[in-house]
Amino acid sequence: MMGRVGRALVLHEFLERTRDRWVLVISVLFALLASAVSLYGQSADAEFAKLTGPSLVTLVSLFIPLVAMVLSHDAIVGERERNTLGLLLSLPVSRLEVVVAKFVGRALALGVAVVAGLGMVALVSDGAGAGSLAKLAGPTLLLGLSFLSIGMLISACTRRQVAAASAVVITWFALVFFFDLGLLALLVVSDGAISQQVIANLVIANPAGLYRIVMMQAFAGPDVLGDLGMTASLPGPIVVAGIWAAWLLLPSIVSGAILSKARMS
Amino acid sequence: MKTLATRGVFVRFGEVDALDDVSIVLEAGQATMLAGPNGAGKTTLLKVLLGLVRPDHGAFEVDGERALVDNDWKRRIGYLPEAVAFSENLSGQQQLRFFARARGVSREHTEAVLERVGLHAARRRAVRGYSRGMRQRLGLAVAILTKPDLLILDEPTAGLDQEGLAVLWSVLEEWREQQRMVLVSTHDLALMERRVDQMCVLQKGRVLAQGSANDLRMAARLPHHVWFEVGDDDARVRLLCEAMEKWGKGRVERGEGIVGVEVAPEAILELMEIQSGFPGTVRGLRVEEPTLDIVYDRLLGVA
Repeated sequence: MMGRVGRALVLHEFLERTRDRWVLVISVLFALLASAVSLYGQSADAEFAKLTGPSLVTLVSLFIPLVAMVLSHDAIVGERERNTLGLLLSLPVSRLEVVVAKFVGRALALGVAVVAGLGMVALVSDGAGAGSLAKLAGPTLLLGLSFLSIGMLISACTRRQVAAASAVVITWFALVFFFDLGLLALLVVSDGAISQQVIANLVIANPAGLYRIVMMQAFAGPDVLGDLGMTASLPGPIVVAGIWAAWLLLPSIVSGAILSKARMS
Repeated sequence: MKTLATRGVFVRFGEVDALDDVSIVLEAGQATMLAGPNGAGKTTLLKVLLGLVRPDHGAFEVDGERALVDNDWKRRIGYLPEAVAFSENLSGQQQLRFFARARGVSREHTEAVLERVGLHAARRRAVRGYSRGMRQRLGLAVAILTKPDLLILDEPTAGLDQEGLAVLWSVLEEWREQQRMVLVSTHDLALMERRVDQMCVLQKGRVLAQGSANDLRMAARLPHHVWFEVGDDDARVRLLCEAMEKWGKGRVERGEGIVGVEVAPEAILELMEIQSGFPGTVRGLRVEEPTLDIVYDRLLGVA
């Protein structure tokens, strides 16, 4: 249960983040690109789930992790560097509650960015594909929250904001771009020594990979890997939920533990 | 709360003893100044009281009873950090309202506090447009928002103009009048001297001296300057100077219409007796105490 300070901090974080220029720029860019994808799909006269949906998935898997980590990378290190962390922790609040409140406040700001982006798509597509958009919303939020949590961890581990920003960019490239490429390279180099199942498990261990797989299943059906000629099978919804929960909670919990142990020298 | 004391507080950061056996006592109705060079441990001591740094050893007492630095304690403290900063994107009013919500303070009182620190007109401007002095005033507003029992101010005079200083002095006065406590860490000794009741000088994490400004002057054992305004009778003035030189406890210097003696504070009364033997020659006198900066330098072994 969050106390008075925690609730006040949630609102403060939400207000502060929704006024951040970088967050606004990336969120607006995401909304514009998502709308453009939707308009392109309409002009091609394609079914939403076949062209617009998968294109949106690609766009979301690039943008939302970036929005989320831009939102969270300065959560702790920014306060430390601005010399505001001491003032915040002088309030009657536990350090873990500070991390949770910061996470929730920034998650709300992320929610606004996601809803605004997908809402724009719904508007320009005149309601077509509303069902597909609804399918997209939940996993998109989970993807964003996972990266928000990773950003919080980076923020707790770093001593300078510029180091946190660099770490966020590196993490984004690593998880969103290079992870899949690396697995592909591994598959080729191993020449079949590593099974497709292992590779599939590694793909879903990455939140960006998990998101893509979940959305592919949502748009193309549960046997999407088989349809692609792969022999690997995907885990059931409980395992998927467990992976999401792990990404969402573990980095934030570790962030809270790091802040709790930190000595404000 | 009548007294607050730290007993033998010890804090080590890596290889450095940030605080070494620090014991200080704060009393209700008094303002205490913490002084010392950079790295002396002033801010660390404040952070111990704020619960931001847990000491390796030592205790903390309120009214003679052992106490914990917990959330109940934090509710009784107001804090102005050194070089206070806020989220640049929000207005002064939004910042203060956050702290008000966090501490359960009404909106009306929040507005009144903004008025008191002179930020009411600028309350809707984003903090990024605030000067350093305005940020400092906003920090002071945050610190006094709940009328805390203990006000902890770290370098509160930094960046304040005359108007800002007047607000700060009125706050200090109010806290003393209402039998609350103030602990101020500062390098601005001359400015703060008349506003505090006692001082504590720290060096390398240890308490070097503690007491009123006069106690510290005595502890520093620095000479005072006594200036005698003398008449035109050159022979009498020469006799006076000779008597003082013969006395041998002060360095005498003579100027146009004035005789100065550098003398230890405990010898001033004797000097007065000598001058009383020359009625009519001495028309007035002024005792010049060493400034607190000089006392401080002497205590730290700088001068």
